[in-house]
Amino acid sequence: MIILPSPARIVGYSLLVILAVLALAGPEAFNLDPVRQSLRNTLLPPSATHVLGTDHLGRDMAARLLSGAQLSLSLALLAVVSASVFGTTMGIISAWRGGWIDRAINTLSDSILALPGLLLVLMMAAISPGSWWVLYVGISLTLWVEYFRFTRQRTRILLDHPSVQASRLLGFGYPHILKRHIFPELMPGLFTLAAFGAATSVTAMAALGFVSVGLRPPTAEWGVMMTQLLPYWREAPWLILQPIACLVVTVLALHLSVGSLTKPNI
Amino acid sequence: MIQRFGPLVAGRLVQAILVALVVAIVSFAMMQALPGDAAYRIAAGRYGYDVMDAAAAELVRTELGLDRPLTLQLLDWVVALSTFDLGNSLVSGNSVWSEVADQLGASLLLAICAIVLSVLIAAPIGVVAGLNAGGWVDRLSLVVSVATRTVPAFALGIILMLWLAVEAKLFPVAGYGNGRHLVLPSLTLALGLAAVSNRVIRDAVYDATRSPWYAFARNKGLSNSAVFRRHVARNVAVPAVAYVGVQLAYLIEGVVIIESVFAWPGIGHALVHAIFERDVPMVQGTALTLGLIFVALNLLVDLLCRWLDPRGAGSLR
Amino acid sequence: MIDRLFIALALALAFFIQNVGAAESSEIRVAAPWEISGPDPSTDGFVFLRMGVLETLVSTSESGNLQPGLAENWSTTSDGLTWRFTLREATFHDGTPLTSDAAVTALQRAVSNPGPLGKVAIDSIEADGRDVLIKLTSPFLPLPAVLSHSSTVIPAPSSFDPNGKVLSAIGTGAFRVNELKPPQSLTTARFDGYWGEKAEMASASYLAVKRAETRALMAESGDADIVFTLDPAGFKNLKSVDSLKAVSVAIPRVMLIKVNAGHSMLGDETVREALSLAVDREGIAAGITRYPEAAATQTFPPGLGDWHNAELPALAYDPQRAKSLLAKAGWSAGEDGILVRDGKRFSLTMRTFPDRPELPLVAAAIQDQWREIGIELNVSVANYSEIPKGHQDGSLEVALFARNYGSIPDPYGSVLSDFGAGGGDWGSMNWDNPEVVAALGKIANTDDESVRTSLIKEIGKAIHTDLPMIPVVWYQHTVAYKKGLEDIVIDPLERSYGLNLVNWAQ
Repeated sequence: MIILPSPARIVGYSLLVILAVLALAGPEAFNLDPVRQSLRNTLLPPSATHVLGTDHLGRDMAARLLSGAQLSLSLALLAVVSASVFGTTMGIISAWRGGWIDRAINTLSDSILALPGLLLVLMMAAISPGSWWVLYVGISLTLWVEYFRFTRQRTRILLDHPSVQASRLLGFGYPHILKRHIFPELMPGLFTLAAFGAATSVTAMAALGFVSVGLRPPTAEWGVMMTQLLPYWREAPWLILQPIACLVVTVLALHLSVGSLTKPNI
Repeated sequence: MIQRFGPLVAGRLVQAILVALVVAIVSFAMMQALPGDAAYRIAAGRYGYDVMDAAAAELVRTELGLDRPLTLQLLDWVVALSTFDLGNSLVSGNSVWSEVADQLGASLLLAICAIVLSVLIAAPIGVVAGLNAGGWVDRLSLVVSVATRTVPAFALGIILMLWLAVEAKLFPVAGYGNGRHLVLPSLTLALGLAAVSNRVIRDAVYDATRSPWYAFARNKGLSNSAVFRRHVARNVAVPAVAYVGVQLAYLIEGVVIIESVFAWPGIGHALVHAIFERDVPMVQGTALTLGLIFVALNLLVDLLCRWLDPRGAGSLR
Repeated sequence: MIDRLFIALALALAFFIQNVGAAESSEIRVAAPWEISGPDPSTDGFVFLRMGVLETLVSTSESGNLQPGLAENWSTTSDGLTWRFTLREATFHDGTPLTSDAAVTALQRAVSNPGPLGKVAIDSIEADGRDVLIKLTSPFLPLPAVLSHSSTVIPAPSSFDPNGKVLSAIGTGAFRVNELKPPQSLTTARFDGYWGEKAEMASASYLAVKRAETRALMAESGDADIVFTLDPAGFKNLKSVDSLKAVSVAIPRVMLIKVNAGHSMLGDETVREALSLAVDREGIAAGITRYPEAAATQTFPPGLGDWHNAELPALAYDPQRAKSLLAKAGWSAGEDGILVRDGKRFSLTMRTFPDRPELPLVAAAIQDQWREIGIELNVSVANYSEIPKGHQDGSLEVALFARNYGSIPDPYGSVLSDFGAGGGDWGSMNWDNPEVVAALGKIANTDDESVRTSLIKEIGKAIHTDLPMIPVVWYQHTVAYKKGLEDIVIDPLERSYGLNLVNWAQ
């Protein structure tokens, strides 16, 4: 792990909070409409009426970026939550029960790990192009493995720990052991994984959108916006830089908030 | 020899089979989920929107036997797949393997150049930063690394394209043909890889310089460069090579996206294209090849680590 | 150690930066969006025709008129049923002479594959000395025009394997294939045995680059000498680049909204008129395709001869009138502003496809403009085969696409299949106009120009008032090339790049 100095984490958290608030508020909160076009007011530079200018169809850029933030962050949140819940549950079951259940889940996770994550998401995207749900399923399917492997490995060690053994002997049930001994130990690691998972899903969505196999126009997705605004680089260079900046800031915030450039080794 | 490397090979072999399995399952799901009529889509891919119509689709249907019962077609597909015959591209009609073989060279060239370039960038910076930990090179490289790594590969590609090709006109924006075309895509990938590996090297060098054997070597009067050559280099190589293994996923994913950004005619570009056209045999062939390359490179890294450090704790995956 | 690493780095960079393949002056490099899937004329004939590798029996001039190609001349019998094409003396790139047998084989192949020749009522194609005899079952005057289509190019017999599969593109053109690397590139060299004007350039190469902005950048950076089909933004940029010339010519391609006239909401002529009135064509032409003069005033663009009728009133943009027409048809605004009639919302799905990047953009613009008059439009961007498919199974409501009325020099064939009886996959749907069908039938048999003209006007008028297809904008063929290049031909039919005539100014 490449650890970053601690002020980085504060910057990261602040950026994340700002992004989350903006995404939650959405374009509606600023009385903006991301689909409203004005074909006679295209490629306008930033001004009082259009804070970030207008795109090639005369749509308000700020509104579209906010709407893109909603798409990206909601995908990241949902994918990370479902992957972590599923992966952690599988990890605990695997560690606790052992035997053929452990072997079965392990084989499943190995088969997903055998392919680079994005490849799986790409292939999933081919099943139903342009669908948000397929991206969500594909990304979650890739992400859960990390949670599973991390949880399984740590839980196995924790279960052997004398304090857990003692709890078991004292007759405490699974809920108690999980709550008192396992989860507190797992949480920091899970949060780190969550931040990386979120960065992965935001990036994957934009990358697929950019190469035209993800969400489709006229959706205000950051990657799609980059593809569409690239031709106007000469006339309106500020336009393409906006979705790129949004994506970079989001990924940067996520990396800074966990204070690391690289995932923990699992 | 077999004892030493056998288990590594066997483990990766199992992985290779799993790759084939996953690709087959997803491709099957794709076949099932394809909406509408395969004959129409194939005709569309072949003839273009100015010529393609219902009559063209019916010609394709008879030509490819798409009017046979679904169960029969499915059976054919399974039989063909088990003999590694992926059939022909639905769009070009050429055999999938011959197309993949054509693209493989371009992809490997790009990947190798990216790795070499990333080492050329990362090694000097990492070594200098590690030897002078806390110095300005060290701090600057950290900031630049963070900045570079957090820019997703394709966005980095766009930025480099706009900056070095469009504004500065140093390199061609896209295409394939001579060495200059290779620069931007491989540089894009190399920067992403070097952003992390220079820090890995820096940490390893830093650890090495603080170890007792380093002090001993210096005390016995060896020159700076002699110590570096004989002791530090090998100790740094192990984590650096092992880290390449961790980065392989980044590399393969990067190749897929970057090839599309720069119109580099490799497997990744073909995969994205096939997904766009929904050319199932091509998706299968390209995804399978990329998956197998991933496994093979992982094996290579394992073997290299084992060879560099026979104590056997090298592999990270 | 470190020094050595730095030296290695510097050397490597020097190697990369070194200009390995600088353009030679006797080479011309073309970049265009169309990928090549192989040497088969039925799928890729257009690339080989444009690059001057393969040729057709009939060729076209710069103004779009027919002129001799591989056939020196042609004639038809008085009943119009037998056509005779006399071949010129020409040599294939493999050294064998052009024979009528080779032409017959190629044409028979074109008949059995998709393309316009297969739609002609052909009885037989035979060789007769140096002539090719084509017998029809009913007269068809535009046959020579059809024989200029790229799917009817004549490859050498050695291009085929014994099973009739096409192995290579060996033709009669000014350039022969050096290397074909599907899907991206084709390199050719001058063919010294060419029958026509021999090429000035020693070699020509074709690179398929799908992204329009990438092509524009290649023109700007000098990586390509001629770049075809630019996006509006790229074209505008290139116009201001000193070393380049960027030109555009109007082409007979038009963007249309196909309307299912059998749909319960769209059968009414006034509803279709309302849909048309709500489309801001000038806005789309100015803002998206960025060629304000190209807002369609009628279906057929200027340059299509009699088919374009300047007397027709231009299609207007009048959302207020559209609203009142819809109100008259019994539609009233619901709670969310979307029109409702008998409890049914006025909601439609428009199918379009991403292969032409402007289509999804225009679809989004129309979505916005139709919402203005209370129509909810869902845009479905998918494979374009969904449009013919939806036509066949009746599920299509509206579709947006670009139709080329100049794929052969005479638009008659396209109009017949688009607006004739039963409509067409890329034409009208569930709209049958007996007068149009009758007029189309008469045109095929008449060689009296004035009768023909009045019939064409009649058809044009019916299409203009009934609106089975709603025109949006006309297209431009855009090209950018280096200033040093001379004698560039910009063919509005996009049949040929005329590369054999191109040369570098001294």
